[in-house]
Amino acid sequence: MYKDKYLVNISKQYRKELFEKFLQVGQGHPGSVFSIIEILVCLFYGKFIRFDKKKKIFHDKIIISKGHATVALYPILKNFGVLPIREWNNWGKKNLKSELRVFGNISIPGIDATTGSLGHGLGVGCGLALSYKKDKIDKNVYVIISEGELYEGSTWEALLFAKHYNLNNLKIVIDQNSLIILGKTDECLKLNPIKDKLKGFGFEVIECNGHSIQQLKKAFRKKTNNLKIVLADTIKGKGFSIMENIPKWHYWNSLNQQEIEKCRAEIK
Amino acid sequence: MKLQRDIFINEINNALKVDKKIYFLSADFGAEALDRLRKDFPKNFVHCGISEQAMFDVATGLALEKKKVFVYAMAPFISLRAIEQIKCGPSMMNLPMTVLSVGIGLGYADAGPTHYATEDFACLRSIIDTKIFTPSDNLTVKFLAKDIIKKNKGLNYVRLDRHPVKDNVCNFSYKDFQDGFRIIGSFDKNKVAIISHGRILEQCLNVLKKNMKKCFVVDLFRSKPISEKLIKKLQNNKKIIVVDEQCLAGNLSSSVFESFSNFKIFPKIKSIYLPEEYVFENGGRDYLLKKYKLDSRNIELSLLNYF
Repeated sequence: MYKDKYLVNISKQYRKELFEKFLQVGQGHPGSVFSIIEILVCLFYGKFIRFDKKKKIFHDKIIISKGHATVALYPILKNFGVLPIREWNNWGKKNLKSELRVFGNISIPGIDATTGSLGHGLGVGCGLALSYKKDKIDKNVYVIISEGELYEGSTWEALLFAKHYNLNNLKIVIDQNSLIILGKTDECLKLNPIKDKLKGFGFEVIECNGHSIQQLKKAFRKKTNNLKIVLADTIKGKGFSIMENIPKWHYWNSLNQQEIEKCRAEIK
Repeated sequence: MKLQRDIFINEINNALKVDKKIYFLSADFGAEALDRLRKDFPKNFVHCGISEQAMFDVATGLALEKKKVFVYAMAPFISLRAIEQIKCGPSMMNLPMTVLSVGIGLGYADAGPTHYATEDFACLRSIIDTKIFTPSDNLTVKFLAKDIIKKNKGLNYVRLDRHPVKDNVCNFSYKDFQDGFRIIGSFDKNKVAIISHGRILEQCLNVLKKNMKKCFVVDLFRSKPISEKLIKKLQNNKKIIVVDEQCLAGNLSSSVFESFSNFKIFPKIKSIYLPEEYVFENGGRDYLLKKYKLDSRNIELSLLNYF
Protein backbone atom coordinates (compact mmCIF):
# COMPACT_ATOMS: atom_id res chain seq x y z
CA MET A 1 0.00 0.00 0.00
CA TYR A 2 1.34 3.39 -0.98
CA LYS A 3 1.82 5.99 1.73
CA ASP A 4 -0.19 9.21 1.60
CA LYS A 5 2.98 11.20 0.97
CA TYR A 6 3.63 9.21 -2.17
CA LEU A 7 0.13 9.95 -3.40
CA VAL A 8 0.65 13.65 -2.73
CA ASN A 9 3.89 13.56 -4.71
CA ILE A 10 2.45 11.62 -7.59
CA SER A 11 -0.47 14.07 -7.78
CA LYS A 12 2.09 16.83 -8.18
CA GLN A 13 3.87 14.78 -10.83
CA TYR A 14 0.65 14.34 -12.78
CA ARG A 15 -0.05 18.06 -12.61
CA LYS A 16 3.39 18.67 -14.12
CA GLU A 17 2.87 16.15 -16.90
CA LEU A 18 -0.58 17.43 -17.69
CA PHE A 19 0.50 21.07 -17.68
CA GLU A 20 3.23 20.32 -20.22
CA LYS A 21 0.74 18.34 -22.29
CA PHE A 22 -1.75 21.23 -22.27
CA LEU A 23 1.04 23.45 -23.56
CA GLN A 24 1.66 21.00 -26.41
CA VAL A 25 -1.96 20.32 -27.28
CA GLY A 26 -3.00 23.95 -26.88
CA GLN A 27 -6.58 23.09 -25.93
CA GLY A 28 -8.59 21.30 -23.31
CA HIS A 29 -10.15 21.93 -19.94
CA PRO A 30 -7.41 22.47 -17.36
CA GLY A 31 -9.72 23.84 -14.65
CA SER A 32 -11.76 20.64 -14.55
CA VAL A 33 -8.77 18.33 -15.06
CA PHE A 34 -6.75 19.79 -12.19
CA SER A 35 -9.70 19.70 -9.81
CA ILE A 36 -9.92 15.87 -9.89
CA ILE A 37 -6.24 14.84 -9.74
CA GLU A 38 -6.21 13.80 -6.09
CA ILE A 39 -9.55 12.01 -6.48
CA LEU A 40 -8.14 9.89 -9.29
CA VAL A 41 -4.77 9.33 -7.65
CA CYS A 42 -6.54 8.19 -4.51
CA LEU A 43 -8.81 5.78 -6.42
CA PHE A 44 -6.02 4.24 -8.51
CA TYR A 45 -3.09 4.30 -6.08
CA GLY A 46 -5.23 3.77 -2.99
CA LYS A 47 -6.29 0.51 -4.69
CA PHE A 48 -9.97 1.32 -4.63
CA ILE A 49 -9.86 0.58 -8.34
CA ARG A 50 -8.28 -2.86 -8.43
CA PHE A 51 -5.62 -3.62 -11.03
CA ASP A 52 -4.72 -6.96 -12.55
CA LYS A 53 -0.98 -6.65 -13.12
CA LYS A 54 -0.71 -9.77 -15.25
CA LYS A 55 -3.51 -8.87 -17.63
CA LYS A 56 -2.81 -5.16 -17.36
CA ILE A 57 -6.48 -4.36 -16.94
CA PHE A 58 -8.43 -2.69 -14.20
CA HIS A 59 -10.83 -4.98 -12.41
CA ASP A 60 -13.19 -2.15 -11.51
CA LYS A 61 -14.64 0.43 -13.86
CA ILE A 62 -14.36 4.18 -13.84
CA ILE A 63 -16.42 6.64 -15.80
CA ILE A 64 -15.45 10.28 -15.92
CA SER A 65 -18.94 11.54 -16.65
CA LYS A 66 -17.58 15.08 -16.89
CA GLY A 67 -15.93 13.97 -20.11
CA HIS A 68 -13.95 17.17 -20.55
CA ALA A 69 -11.82 16.08 -17.59
CA THR A 70 -11.00 12.61 -18.93
CA VAL A 71 -7.57 13.90 -19.88
CA ALA A 72 -6.68 13.59 -16.18
CA LEU A 73 -6.88 9.82 -16.59
CA TYR A 74 -4.39 9.52 -19.44
CA PRO A 75 -1.09 9.81 -17.56
CA ILE A 76 -2.41 7.41 -14.92
CA LEU A 77 -3.40 4.87 -17.55
CA LYS A 78 -0.01 5.34 -19.16
CA ASN A 79 1.84 4.72 -15.91
CA PHE A 80 -0.13 1.56 -15.22
CA GLY A 81 0.83 0.32 -18.68
CA VAL A 82 -2.76 0.28 -19.91
CA LEU A 83 -2.28 3.16 -22.33
CA PRO A 84 0.69 2.79 -24.66
CA ILE A 85 3.33 5.44 -23.89
CA ARG A 86 3.54 6.44 -27.54
CA GLU A 87 -0.12 7.51 -27.50
CA TRP A 88 0.67 9.93 -24.71
CA ASN A 89 3.97 11.09 -26.19
CA ASN A 90 2.57 11.62 -29.67
CA TRP A 91 -0.49 13.53 -28.54
CA GLY A 92 -0.23 17.18 -29.47
CA LYS A 93 2.81 16.71 -31.68
CA LYS A 94 2.59 17.68 -35.31
CA ASN A 95 2.54 14.86 -37.86
CA LEU A 96 2.34 12.16 -35.18
CA LYS A 97 -0.74 10.04 -34.63
CA SER A 98 -2.42 9.49 -31.30
CA GLU A 99 -5.75 8.03 -30.21
CA LEU A 100 -6.00 10.57 -27.41
CA ARG A 101 -8.60 13.30 -27.54
CA VAL A 102 -9.68 16.17 -25.32
CA PHE A 103 -12.78 14.10 -24.50
CA GLY A 104 -12.45 10.42 -23.72
CA ASN A 105 -13.93 7.67 -25.83
CA ILE A 106 -13.88 3.89 -25.77
CA SER A 107 -11.34 3.59 -28.58
CA ILE A 108 -8.75 4.78 -26.05
CA PRO A 109 -7.35 1.88 -23.99
CA GLY A 110 -8.58 2.08 -20.41
CA ILE A 111 -11.55 4.33 -21.12
CA ASP A 112 -14.72 2.48 -20.16
CA ALA A 113 -17.35 4.78 -21.69
CA THR A 114 -17.47 7.57 -24.22
CA THR A 115 -18.37 10.79 -22.46
CA GLY A 116 -18.46 14.46 -23.29
CA SER A 117 -22.11 15.37 -23.25
CA LEU A 118 -22.97 15.96 -19.61
CA GLY A 119 -25.42 13.89 -17.63
CA HIS A 120 -24.88 10.51 -19.27
CA GLY A 121 -22.13 8.90 -17.22
CA LEU A 122 -24.12 8.16 -14.11
CA GLY A 123 -26.84 6.34 -16.04
CA VAL A 124 -24.25 4.33 -17.95
CA GLY A 125 -22.59 3.52 -14.62
CA CYS A 126 -25.98 2.34 -13.32
CA GLY A 127 -26.25 -0.03 -16.28
CA LEU A 128 -22.79 -1.47 -15.64
CA ALA A 129 -23.43 -1.79 -11.92
CA LEU A 130 -26.80 -3.44 -12.50
CA SER A 131 -25.22 -5.91 -14.89
CA TYR A 132 -22.55 -6.93 -12.34
CA LYS A 133 -25.10 -7.15 -9.57
CA LYS A 134 -27.46 -9.36 -11.57
CA ASP A 135 -24.56 -11.61 -12.61
CA LYS A 136 -23.14 -11.61 -9.06
CA ILE A 137 -19.79 -10.29 -10.30
CA ASP A 138 -17.63 -8.50 -7.75
CA LYS A 139 -16.88 -5.30 -9.61
CA ASN A 140 -17.31 -1.73 -8.54
CA VAL A 141 -18.19 1.12 -10.86
CA TYR A 142 -16.79 4.53 -9.95
CA VAL A 143 -18.48 7.48 -11.59
CA ILE A 144 -17.07 10.97 -11.23
CA ILE A 145 -19.62 13.62 -12.03
CA SER A 146 -19.23 17.34 -11.93
CA GLU A 147 -21.35 19.59 -9.82
CA GLY A 148 -22.50 21.13 -13.11
CA GLU A 149 -23.97 17.78 -14.13
CA LEU A 150 -26.49 18.20 -11.35
CA TYR A 151 -28.20 20.64 -13.71
CA GLU A 152 -28.98 17.73 -16.03
CA GLY A 153 -32.28 16.00 -15.31
CA SER A 154 -30.86 12.68 -16.46
CA THR A 155 -28.43 12.75 -13.50
CA TRP A 156 -31.35 12.83 -11.08
CA GLU A 157 -33.15 10.15 -13.07
CA ALA A 158 -30.06 7.97 -12.68
CA LEU A 159 -29.87 8.70 -8.94
CA LEU A 160 -33.47 7.52 -8.56
CA PHE A 161 -32.54 4.39 -10.48
CA ALA A 162 -29.41 3.67 -8.43
CA LYS A 163 -31.31 4.02 -5.19
CA HIS A 164 -34.26 1.90 -6.26
CA TYR A 165 -32.06 -0.95 -7.46
CA ASN A 166 -29.76 -0.55 -4.45
CA LEU A 167 -26.67 -0.38 -6.63
CA ASN A 168 -24.16 -0.54 -3.79
CA ASN A 169 -21.40 -1.40 -6.26
CA LEU A 170 -21.88 2.03 -7.84
CA LYS A 171 -19.54 4.57 -6.25
CA ILE A 172 -20.47 8.14 -7.00
CA VAL A 173 -18.07 11.03 -6.57
CA ILE A 174 -19.19 14.61 -7.13
CA ASP A 175 -16.43 17.05 -8.01
CA GLN A 176 -17.81 20.17 -6.37
CA ASN A 177 -15.72 23.13 -7.47
CA SER A 178 -18.67 25.56 -7.45
CA LEU A 179 -17.87 26.95 -10.88
CA ILE A 180 -19.39 26.52 -14.29
CA ILE A 181 -18.36 28.28 -17.48
CA LEU A 182 -20.18 31.54 -16.78
CA GLY A 183 -19.39 31.81 -13.11
CA LYS A 184 -20.35 30.52 -9.68
CA THR A 185 -23.14 27.96 -9.54
CA ASP A 186 -24.77 29.88 -6.70
CA GLU A 187 -24.99 32.95 -8.91
CA CYS A 188 -25.76 31.32 -12.29
CA LEU A 189 -28.50 28.98 -11.07
CA LYS A 190 -28.43 27.84 -7.50
CA LEU A 191 -27.83 24.14 -6.93
CA ASN A 192 -27.49 24.31 -3.17
CA PRO A 193 -28.27 22.78 -0.79
CA ILE A 194 -26.79 19.90 -2.79
CA LYS A 195 -26.19 17.71 0.24
CA ASP A 196 -29.80 17.95 1.39
CA LYS A 197 -31.08 17.20 -2.09
CA LEU A 198 -28.93 14.10 -2.35
CA LYS A 199 -29.95 13.01 1.13
CA GLY A 200 -33.55 13.52 0.08
CA PHE A 201 -32.95 10.99 -2.68
CA GLY A 202 -31.90 8.51 -0.02
CA PHE A 203 -28.12 8.71 -0.25
CA GLU A 204 -25.62 9.12 2.52
CA VAL A 205 -23.42 12.04 1.60
CA ILE A 206 -19.80 12.12 2.76
CA GLU A 207 -18.27 15.56 2.40
CA CYS A 208 -14.52 15.91 2.16
CA ASN A 209 -11.71 18.06 0.87
CA GLY A 210 -11.23 16.76 -2.66
CA HIS A 211 -7.52 17.61 -2.59
CA SER A 212 -6.75 15.85 0.69
CA ILE A 213 -5.57 12.30 0.12
CA GLN A 214 -6.26 11.46 3.74
CA GLN A 215 -9.82 12.76 3.68
CA LEU A 216 -10.57 11.18 0.31
CA LYS A 217 -9.33 7.77 1.46
CA LYS A 218 -11.43 8.03 4.59
CA ALA A 219 -14.49 8.99 2.55
CA PHE A 220 -14.03 6.11 0.08
CA ARG A 221 -13.49 3.62 2.91
CA LYS A 222 -16.40 4.71 5.06
CA LYS A 223 -19.01 2.01 5.38
CA THR A 224 -22.56 3.30 5.21
CA ASN A 225 -26.00 1.79 5.53
CA ASN A 226 -27.36 3.70 2.56
CA LEU A 227 -25.80 4.15 -0.84
CA LYS A 228 -22.96 6.59 -0.58
CA ILE A 229 -22.01 9.70 -2.49
CA VAL A 230 -18.65 11.36 -1.91
CA LEU A 231 -19.14 15.10 -2.25
CA ALA A 232 -15.60 16.31 -2.82
CA ASP A 233 -14.93 20.02 -2.39
CA THR A 234 -12.38 20.98 -4.97
CA ILE A 235 -10.74 24.02 -6.50
CA LYS A 236 -11.08 24.47 -10.22
CA GLY A 237 -7.58 24.72 -11.71
CA LYS A 238 -6.01 23.53 -8.43
CA GLY A 239 -2.24 23.93 -8.25
CA PHE A 240 -1.84 26.95 -10.51
CA SER A 241 -2.57 30.38 -9.07
CA ILE A 242 -3.18 31.74 -12.55
CA MET A 243 -6.07 29.29 -13.00
CA GLU A 244 -7.48 28.60 -9.53
CA ASN A 245 -11.15 29.57 -9.28
CA ILE A 246 -11.00 31.58 -12.50
CA PRO A 247 -13.98 30.62 -14.72
CA LYS A 248 -12.18 31.35 -17.99
CA TRP A 249 -9.72 28.56 -17.15
CA HIS A 250 -12.48 26.07 -17.78
CA TYR A 251 -10.80 26.18 -21.19
CA TRP A 252 -7.11 26.36 -21.97
CA ASN A 253 -5.82 29.88 -22.62
CA SER A 254 -2.54 30.83 -24.20
CA LEU A 255 0.22 31.79 -21.77
CA ASN A 256 3.30 33.95 -22.22
CA GLN A 257 6.71 32.62 -21.24
CA GLN A 258 6.65 34.41 -17.89
CA GLU A 259 3.30 32.85 -17.02
CA ILE A 260 4.48 29.44 -18.13
CA GLU A 261 7.52 29.67 -15.86
CA LYS A 262 5.33 30.84 -12.99
CA CYS A 263 3.07 27.81 -13.41
CA ARG A 264 6.07 25.49 -13.60
CA ALA A 265 7.54 26.99 -10.45
CA GLU A 266 4.31 26.50 -8.52
CA ILE A 267 4.26 22.75 -9.13
CA LYS A 268 7.95 22.09 -8.66
CA MET B 1 -56.29 -9.39 -33.61
CA LYS B 2 -52.86 -9.36 -32.11
CA LEU B 3 -50.84 -6.23 -31.54
CA GLN B 4 -47.41 -5.86 -33.11
CA ARG B 5 -45.83 -5.19 -29.71
CA ASP B 6 -47.22 -8.46 -28.29
CA ILE B 7 -45.89 -10.43 -31.23
CA PHE B 8 -42.42 -8.92 -30.85
CA ILE B 9 -42.31 -9.34 -27.08
CA ASN B 10 -43.59 -12.91 -27.34
CA GLU B 11 -40.56 -13.74 -29.46
CA ILE B 12 -38.40 -12.21 -26.72
CA ASN B 13 -40.26 -14.35 -24.16
CA ASN B 14 -39.46 -17.44 -26.18
CA ALA B 15 -35.82 -16.46 -26.49
CA LEU B 16 -35.56 -15.72 -22.76
CA LYS B 17 -36.21 -19.36 -21.97
CA VAL B 18 -32.67 -20.09 -23.05
CA ASP B 19 -30.93 -16.73 -23.38
CA LYS B 20 -30.55 -14.97 -20.05
CA LYS B 21 -28.45 -12.19 -21.53
CA ILE B 22 -31.59 -10.52 -22.81
CA TYR B 23 -32.71 -7.46 -20.85
CA PHE B 24 -35.98 -5.65 -21.44
CA LEU B 25 -36.20 -2.05 -20.25
CA SER B 26 -39.44 -0.11 -20.11
CA ALA B 27 -40.23 3.49 -19.30
CA ASP B 28 -43.56 2.50 -17.78
CA PHE B 29 -45.12 1.29 -21.00
CA GLY B 30 -46.94 -2.02 -21.04
CA ALA B 31 -48.26 -4.85 -23.18
CA GLU B 32 -50.01 -8.13 -22.56
CA ALA B 33 -46.90 -10.05 -23.57
CA LEU B 34 -44.81 -7.84 -21.32
CA ASP B 35 -46.94 -8.89 -18.34
CA ARG B 36 -45.85 -12.44 -19.06
CA LEU B 37 -42.21 -11.40 -19.43
CA ARG B 38 -42.33 -9.60 -16.08
CA LYS B 39 -43.91 -12.63 -14.41
CA ASP B 40 -41.74 -15.33 -15.97
CA PHE B 41 -38.44 -13.47 -16.23
CA PRO B 42 -38.39 -10.80 -13.52
CA LYS B 43 -34.60 -10.75 -13.44
CA ASN B 44 -34.50 -9.69 -17.07
CA PHE B 45 -37.03 -6.89 -16.81
CA VAL B 46 -35.91 -3.46 -15.68
CA HIS B 47 -38.48 -0.78 -14.95
CA CYS B 48 -36.71 2.52 -15.51
CA GLY B 49 -39.46 4.81 -14.31
CA ILE B 50 -40.82 7.40 -16.70
CA SER B 51 -37.24 8.40 -17.43
CA GLU B 52 -36.47 7.79 -21.07
CA GLN B 53 -33.09 9.52 -20.92
CA ALA B 54 -31.72 7.53 -18.00
CA MET B 55 -33.26 4.40 -19.52
CA PHE B 56 -31.02 4.74 -22.55
CA ASP B 57 -27.96 5.46 -20.42
CA VAL B 58 -28.70 2.38 -18.30
CA ALA B 59 -29.25 0.38 -21.49
CA THR B 60 -25.86 1.58 -22.72
CA GLY B 61 -24.19 0.35 -19.55
CA LEU B 62 -25.87 -3.04 -19.92
CA ALA B 63 -24.90 -3.25 -23.59
CA LEU B 64 -21.28 -2.43 -22.71
CA GLU B 65 -21.40 -5.62 -20.64
CA LYS B 66 -22.64 -7.59 -23.67
CA LYS B 67 -26.25 -7.79 -22.62
CA LYS B 68 -28.86 -7.97 -25.40
CA VAL B 69 -30.89 -4.92 -24.65
CA PHE B 70 -34.42 -4.00 -25.70
CA VAL B 71 -35.64 -0.53 -24.81
CA TYR B 72 -39.38 0.06 -24.90
CA ALA B 73 -41.72 3.02 -24.66
CA MET B 74 -44.29 5.08 -26.51
CA ALA B 75 -42.99 6.36 -29.86
CA PRO B 76 -43.02 10.15 -29.33
CA PHE B 77 -41.13 9.89 -26.06
CA ILE B 78 -38.65 7.11 -26.73
CA SER B 79 -37.55 8.88 -29.90
CA LEU B 80 -37.35 12.61 -29.37
CA ARG B 81 -37.11 12.77 -25.57
CA ALA B 82 -33.96 10.70 -25.46
CA ILE B 83 -32.40 11.23 -28.86
CA GLU B 84 -29.10 12.52 -27.52
CA GLN B 85 -28.78 9.50 -25.24
CA ILE B 86 -29.32 7.29 -28.30
CA LYS B 87 -26.62 9.23 -30.15
CA CYS B 88 -24.01 9.26 -27.38
CA GLY B 89 -24.75 5.74 -26.16
CA PRO B 90 -25.40 2.90 -28.58
CA SER B 91 -24.72 4.89 -31.73
CA MET B 92 -21.41 6.49 -30.73
CA MET B 93 -20.14 3.44 -28.86
CA ASN B 94 -21.33 1.11 -31.60
CA LEU B 95 -23.33 -1.08 -29.22
CA PRO B 96 -26.08 -3.48 -30.17
CA MET B 97 -29.45 -2.28 -28.93
CA THR B 98 -33.04 -2.44 -30.10
CA VAL B 99 -35.49 0.37 -29.57
CA LEU B 100 -39.14 -0.66 -29.63
CA SER B 101 -41.17 2.41 -30.42
CA VAL B 102 -44.94 1.98 -30.23
CA GLY B 103 -47.61 4.24 -31.68
CA ILE B 104 -46.03 5.77 -34.76
CA GLY B 105 -47.75 8.38 -36.90
CA LEU B 106 -51.18 9.40 -35.68
CA GLY B 107 -51.55 6.14 -33.77
CA TYR B 108 -52.53 7.94 -30.60
CA ALA B 109 -55.36 9.95 -32.15
CA ASP B 110 -57.22 11.64 -30.39
CA ALA B 111 -54.59 12.18 -27.71
CA GLY B 112 -53.19 15.12 -29.64
CA PRO B 113 -49.80 16.08 -30.99
CA THR B 114 -47.82 15.46 -27.79
CA HIS B 115 -48.57 11.80 -28.39
CA TYR B 116 -48.20 11.71 -32.17
CA ALA B 117 -44.94 10.48 -33.61
CA THR B 118 -44.86 12.29 -36.91
CA GLU B 119 -41.19 13.32 -36.83
CA ASP B 120 -39.59 10.27 -35.24
CA PHE B 121 -38.56 8.68 -38.53
CA ALA B 122 -36.63 11.76 -39.66
CA CYS B 123 -34.98 12.19 -36.28
CA LEU B 124 -33.90 8.61 -35.79
CA ARG B 125 -32.71 8.10 -39.32
CA SER B 126 -30.35 11.03 -38.81
CA ILE B 127 -28.60 9.12 -36.04
CA ILE B 128 -25.51 7.43 -37.42
CA ASP B 129 -25.79 3.74 -38.25
CA THR B 130 -29.37 3.22 -37.14
CA LYS B 131 -31.33 0.53 -38.88
CA ILE B 132 -34.97 1.46 -39.18
CA PHE B 133 -37.83 -1.00 -39.48
CA THR B 134 -41.52 -0.24 -39.91
CA PRO B 135 -43.36 -3.54 -40.34
CA SER B 136 -46.76 -3.42 -41.99
CA ASP B 137 -48.07 -6.80 -40.83
CA ASN B 138 -47.62 -9.35 -38.09
CA LEU B 139 -45.60 -11.78 -40.18
CA THR B 140 -42.93 -9.15 -40.74
CA VAL B 141 -42.87 -8.37 -37.01
CA LYS B 142 -42.28 -12.02 -36.27
CA PHE B 143 -39.43 -12.30 -38.79
CA LEU B 144 -37.96 -9.05 -37.55
CA ALA B 145 -38.02 -10.11 -33.90
CA LYS B 146 -36.43 -13.46 -34.69
CA ASP B 147 -33.77 -11.82 -36.81
CA ILE B 148 -32.85 -9.15 -34.29
CA ILE B 149 -32.74 -11.57 -31.36
CA LYS B 150 -30.59 -13.98 -33.37
CA LYS B 151 -28.12 -11.41 -34.69
CA ASN B 152 -28.07 -8.88 -31.83
CA LYS B 153 -26.23 -6.48 -34.08
CA GLY B 154 -26.30 -2.72 -34.49
CA LEU B 155 -28.76 -0.12 -33.34
CA ASN B 156 -32.24 -1.08 -34.45
CA TYR B 157 -35.13 1.36 -34.31
CA VAL B 158 -38.32 -0.67 -34.64
CA ARG B 159 -41.46 1.36 -35.32
CA LEU B 160 -44.58 -0.50 -34.27
CA ASP B 161 -48.19 0.48 -34.69
CA ARG B 162 -50.49 1.06 -31.77
CA HIS B 163 -53.40 -0.61 -33.55
CA PRO B 164 -53.77 -4.16 -34.81
CA VAL B 165 -52.58 -4.76 -38.35
CA LYS B 166 -53.15 -7.68 -40.72
CA ASP B 167 -51.44 -10.98 -40.04
CA ASN B 168 -50.02 -11.14 -43.51
CA VAL B 169 -50.46 -8.66 -46.34
CA CYS B 170 -48.47 -10.79 -48.74
CA ASN B 171 -46.70 -14.08 -48.20
CA PHE B 172 -42.94 -14.07 -48.16
CA SER B 173 -40.16 -16.12 -46.63
CA TYR B 174 -37.65 -15.40 -43.87
CA LYS B 175 -35.00 -15.51 -46.59
CA ASP B 176 -36.79 -12.82 -48.61
CA PHE B 177 -37.21 -10.79 -45.43
CA GLN B 178 -33.45 -10.21 -45.46
CA ASP B 179 -33.88 -7.94 -48.50
CA GLY B 180 -35.69 -5.38 -46.37
CA PHE B 181 -38.58 -4.98 -48.83
CA ARG B 182 -41.16 -6.94 -50.73
CA ILE B 183 -43.02 -6.17 -53.89
CA ILE B 184 -46.76 -6.66 -53.86
CA GLY B 185 -48.56 -6.88 -57.20
CA SER B 186 -46.79 -7.52 -60.45
CA PHE B 187 -43.63 -5.58 -61.06
CA ASP B 188 -43.33 -3.71 -64.32
CA LYS B 189 -40.88 -0.94 -65.15
CA ASN B 190 -43.66 1.03 -66.87
CA LYS B 191 -45.94 1.02 -63.82
CA VAL B 192 -45.96 3.47 -60.93
CA ALA B 193 -44.19 2.12 -57.85
CA ILE B 194 -46.07 3.01 -54.66
CA ILE B 195 -43.61 2.79 -51.79
CA SER B 196 -44.74 2.80 -48.18
CA HIS B 197 -44.29 1.11 -44.81
CA GLY B 198 -46.22 0.38 -41.65
CA ARG B 199 -49.97 0.39 -41.23
CA ILE B 200 -50.49 3.05 -43.91
CA LEU B 201 -49.41 0.44 -46.44
CA GLU B 202 -52.95 -0.98 -46.19
CA GLN B 203 -54.25 2.15 -47.91
CA CYS B 204 -51.79 1.59 -50.75
CA LEU B 205 -52.90 -2.04 -51.09
CA ASN B 206 -56.49 -0.86 -51.51
CA VAL B 207 -55.30 1.31 -54.39
CA LEU B 208 -53.41 -1.62 -55.87
CA LYS B 209 -56.52 -3.86 -55.87
CA LYS B 210 -58.32 -1.44 -58.19
CA ASN B 211 -55.32 -0.47 -60.30
CA MET B 212 -53.31 -3.64 -60.85
CA LYS B 213 -52.32 -2.57 -64.35
CA LYS B 214 -51.14 0.85 -63.35
CA CYS B 215 -49.06 0.23 -60.24
CA PHE B 216 -47.43 -2.14 -57.81
CA VAL B 217 -46.67 -1.63 -54.12
CA VAL B 218 -43.30 -1.81 -52.36
CA ASP B 219 -43.48 -2.63 -48.67
CA LEU B 220 -40.25 -1.00 -47.57
CA PHE B 221 -40.20 -2.37 -44.04
CA ARG B 222 -36.48 -1.69 -43.70
CA SER B 223 -36.10 1.93 -44.68
CA LYS B 224 -32.56 2.39 -43.44
CA PRO B 225 -30.50 1.17 -45.09
CA ILE B 226 -32.61 0.83 -48.21
CA SER B 227 -31.64 -2.29 -50.10
CA GLU B 228 -29.41 -1.77 -53.13
CA LYS B 229 -31.35 -4.60 -54.69
CA LEU B 230 -34.51 -2.49 -54.58
CA ILE B 231 -32.84 0.53 -56.16
CA LYS B 232 -31.54 -1.64 -58.98
CA LYS B 233 -34.92 -3.28 -59.40
CA LEU B 234 -36.68 0.09 -59.69
CA GLN B 235 -33.98 1.89 -61.68
CA ASN B 236 -36.14 2.06 -64.80
CA ASN B 237 -39.37 3.02 -63.09
CA LYS B 238 -39.85 6.65 -63.96
CA LYS B 239 -42.69 7.34 -61.56
CA ILE B 240 -42.77 6.70 -57.85
CA ILE B 241 -45.28 7.60 -55.14
CA VAL B 242 -44.13 7.50 -51.53
CA VAL B 243 -46.78 7.40 -48.81
CA ASP B 244 -45.69 8.04 -45.23
CA GLU B 245 -47.63 8.84 -42.06
CA GLN B 246 -45.02 11.45 -41.18
CA CYS B 247 -44.42 15.13 -41.88
CA LEU B 248 -42.44 15.85 -45.04
CA ALA B 249 -39.00 16.84 -43.72
CA GLY B 250 -36.78 13.79 -43.72
CA ASN B 251 -39.60 11.31 -44.19
CA LEU B 252 -39.63 8.10 -46.24
CA SER B 253 -39.70 10.00 -49.53
CA SER B 254 -36.44 11.73 -48.53
CA SER B 255 -34.87 8.34 -47.83
CA VAL B 256 -36.05 6.99 -51.15
CA PHE B 257 -34.79 10.03 -53.05
CA GLU B 258 -31.40 9.93 -51.32
CA SER B 259 -30.97 6.24 -52.01
CA PHE B 260 -31.77 6.65 -55.70
CA SER B 261 -29.59 9.72 -56.07
CA ASN B 262 -26.63 7.80 -54.59
CA PHE B 263 -26.86 5.67 -57.71
CA LYS B 264 -27.38 8.74 -59.92
CA ILE B 265 -30.93 7.66 -60.61
CA PHE B 266 -33.54 10.41 -60.50
CA PRO B 267 -37.09 9.15 -60.91
CA LYS B 268 -40.07 11.44 -60.46
CA ILE B 269 -41.13 11.07 -56.83
CA LYS B 270 -44.50 12.22 -55.55
CA SER B 271 -44.62 12.39 -51.77
CA ILE B 272 -47.87 11.95 -49.82
CA TYR B 273 -47.42 12.99 -46.21
CA LEU B 274 -48.88 14.72 -43.17
CA PRO B 275 -49.01 18.52 -43.01
CA GLU B 276 -46.28 20.60 -41.41
CA GLU B 277 -48.44 21.39 -38.39
CA TYR B 278 -49.40 19.95 -35.04
CA VAL B 279 -52.85 18.42 -35.36
CA PHE B 280 -55.20 19.18 -32.48
CA GLU B 281 -58.37 18.13 -34.25
CA ASN B 282 -60.38 15.17 -32.97
CA GLY B 283 -62.13 12.59 -35.10
CA GLY B 284 -59.82 9.60 -34.95
CA ARG B 285 -56.89 8.38 -37.00
CA ASP B 286 -58.80 7.35 -40.10
CA TYR B 287 -60.64 10.66 -40.21
CA LEU B 288 -57.35 12.57 -39.97
CA LEU B 289 -55.70 10.40 -42.62
CA LYS B 290 -58.60 11.12 -44.96
CA LYS B 291 -58.50 14.81 -44.17
CA TYR B 292 -54.79 14.97 -44.99
CA LYS B 293 -55.21 12.87 -48.15
CA LEU B 294 -53.43 9.77 -46.87
CA ASP B 295 -56.45 7.54 -47.46
CA SER B 296 -56.77 5.11 -50.35
CA ARG B 297 -59.12 7.35 -52.36
CA ASN B 298 -56.69 10.25 -52.37
CA ILE B 299 -53.65 8.05 -52.98
CA GLU B 300 -55.55 6.64 -55.97
CA LEU B 301 -56.19 10.16 -57.24
CA SER B 302 -52.48 10.89 -57.03
CA LEU B 303 -51.82 7.74 -58.99
CA LEU B 304 -54.35 8.57 -61.69
CA ASN B 305 -53.06 12.14 -61.97
CA TYR B 306 -49.63 10.73 -62.70
CA PHE B 307 -50.82 9.54 -66.14
